[in-house]
Amino acid sequence: MSAEINLSEIPKGGRFIISGFENPGSEYSEKLMKMGFVEGTVVERTGADINDPMVFSLRHSRVALRKKEARVILVKESD
Amino acid sequence: MDLNSIAIAGIPNCGKTTLFNELTGSRQKVGNWPGVTVERVEGSISFMGKKVTLIDLPGTNNLSPDTEDQKIAERVIRQQEHDLIINVVDASNLSRNLYLTLDLLARTPHVVVFLNMMDMAEQEGMRVDQAEIEKVLGVRVIPVISVDPRSVKNALSELEKHLEEDTEFLHDRETASSFIGLSAEKAYKKIDDICKQVISYSTKENESLTDRVDKIVMNKFASIPIFFVSMFLTFWLAIGVGSIFIDFFDILAGLVFVDIPTHLLEMIGSPEWLTVFVAGGIGAGIQTVATFIPVVFFMFLTIAILEDVGYMARIGVIADRVMRRIGLPGSAFIPMVVGFGCTVPAVMSARTLGSKRDRYMTIFMAPFMSCGARLPVYALFCAALFGKSSGLVVFLIYLSGLFMAILTGLLLKNSLFKGSVSHFVMDLPLYHKPKASNILKSAWIRLKLFVKKAGVVVVIAVCILGVLSSMGLEDGKLTFGNEDSQESVLAYAGKALGPVFEPMGVSEENWPASVALFTGLFAKEAIVGTVNALYSAMDMAETGAIEEEEEGGLDIGGAVVEAFTTVGEGFIGIISSLDILGVGLISEDSEVIAEEIESDTAVFRHIARNFTPMSAFAYLLFVLMYFPCLAVVGAARQEMGGFYTFILVAYTTILAWSVSTLFYQIAEGHHLVYGVISAGVLGLLYLALVLIGKREHDMKSVPDAPDKSSCCG
Repeated sequence: MSAEINLSEIPKGGRFIISGFENPGSEYSEKLMKMGFVEGTVVERTGADINDPMVFSLRHSRVALRKKEARVILVKESD
Repeated sequence: MDLNSIAIAGIPNCGKTTLFNELTGSRQKVGNWPGVTVERVEGSISFMGKKVTLIDLPGTNNLSPDTEDQKIAERVIRQQEHDLIINVVDASNLSRNLYLTLDLLARTPHVVVFLNMMDMAEQEGMRVDQAEIEKVLGVRVIPVISVDPRSVKNALSELEKHLEEDTEFLHDRETASSFIGLSAEKAYKKIDDICKQVISYSTKENESLTDRVDKIVMNKFASIPIFFVSMFLTFWLAIGVGSIFIDFFDILAGLVFVDIPTHLLEMIGSPEWLTVFVAGGIGAGIQTVATFIPVVFFMFLTIAILEDVGYMARIGVIADRVMRRIGLPGSAFIPMVVGFGCTVPAVMSARTLGSKRDRYMTIFMAPFMSCGARLPVYALFCAALFGKSSGLVVFLIYLSGLFMAILTGLLLKNSLFKGSVSHFVMDLPLYHKPKASNILKSAWIRLKLFVKKAGVVVVIAVCILGVLSSMGLEDGKLTFGNEDSQESVLAYAGKALGPVFEPMGVSEENWPASVALFTGLFAKEAIVGTVNALYSAMDMAETGAIEEEEEGGLDIGGAVVEAFTTVGEGFIGIISSLDILGVGLISEDSEVIAEEIESDTAVFRHIARNFTPMSAFAYLLFVLMYFPCLAVVGAARQEMGGFYTFILVAYTTILAWSVSTLFYQIAEGHHLVYGVISAGVLGLLYLALVLIGKREHDMKSVPDAPDKSSCCG
């Protein structure tokens, strides 16, 4: 299994799979989960962003997150 | 099932409001939810042979009570105020939409899904199988294109047909019960399975249109210039084009609501006080509201375009880097942009923000964005005193406003609106081709709500001030018709308040400037009118010239012609000079300006005599910041309630006074006591905000931050 990294670290155009949260159960991570950031979801950084906020594409929708806030999401490389 | 009301639910950007507007047209009204300040919008349609109420729920991603909007939607559904829910689902973003759908199915027995934007899905390389969704969810699905009136009509009659066949109209209970109490993780697992069944992918095109556009629009280097160009165009439409129609509305409304009633009342020989009340009060109030209409309408129009295309969300992303320093999400920038046009819609558009704290803070900052109504005031004073450098001075005032807004943000963050910084999570919708009818309808509906809500406040206030400015005391007897003279109650009040304005450089002999600040309470452009009238009156008193009143009776035809002429002139002006921000008002030639703003050179003389450049700048700073006009107060009260609106009014006015005084005393007055007092007042203002902030605890936003553990402590 590949190593976990933070969502904020993935390069433009990178495709990863969500593997968890840094502090599961916090209100913010709950909010993100309701927006579709759940374990097993494929997340792609679209490359169309100004670095901070970052723009991610998941479940056929695009969501912008601050770099600092994207850190709470843990991802691993998709195979 | 006895069907009396239908609620429309859906996530943001699913086309829900478009559908609602299409169905109800202009038959909408706004009601307040008991106990909450956010409004709900209702309309009525004729459905199955009777009148049925349609409730437009706020667009929500889910029904957990995180934001004001979601609380409202949840409440309606919990209290079963509706008999049926139409769930609008965006086919191009199925899984996010279905998250709400599952929750709705679990909570309420009568749901129908309107599957929208199938064309967008196909553009993105997906084909959604409608029949398959019906099967797996056990609910009726009707396809619709919400921007197409015919399609909406068809969808509605299809729904009628289904309801006639199946009067109970229950969706499959067994399926729905498996959706009860799902965690986000489990719900999305289910949704993933559903999506696998119902979506088939055509050969995926290389890169979607939205991604291609975003690569340019959100490019590290291009994003800022593109942003400024779009802002420039927004201003041009709202202020440049919108203001062409201001005189048109002003003249026509003046004719219909002031001149004609005055004439009629005089004809039937009604007492003078009644004429003053009806024409000078109510009539003038309606006239004031009417002059707002064009700029506000065009502002709503440009906002609707930015929203409809999908660019507004991108503005929020680009602005986030700056806004986060004040502790606000990037989306709070959108109301600020609107504020350069008119503060009223700016205050109202703060509603889209997630937390109450963010909303209130944005409303407090928006009045410092110098609106279109303040520009003529700057132009007049600058032309009289600054000559060639007028443009620069006006620019400095705008900049001061921006600076004060940021300062206010930082100040409030540490006092009144403490509490942790909210997060920035922004959905970026697909780009759409804008549809004219859609945009016009949305702008029209918003304008109507604005006129209704703000109108009442303005009319009442204008009534009171109109009467005060007309009422005068002569030998102990009450007289009327003292408008713009030294004898009116308002003039006395202005003189009495002289000492208050003296520290910022308005001397006691310069009482017209104080009185003008009164009339500026209605609308800031009223300051120009008052200054004009009072200084000309003074001039005539001095030179002994006899005023030649053109009391030629009522000239309806002439007024109508004049009204249309202003529109024509405006268009010619805007095309020939490309005078986009009205900067043409700022020119070196004082005669030209005098004509443009219907002032005369005598007024310029008086301004130059009564003000020094520094005291004029202090006065303009005060005009920029003090009491946001009555329409704004009305809008703010509607959004925040009386308490915070009172704080807003007190804060802006006290800040205006102390900043102007401080500026004047440092620049020119050199009066140590005044300087110390104004600095002291600023300190006390901050202290007061801190103390009130300590008392009011309901401002705390979502308490968790990504790098902090969430705890109540």
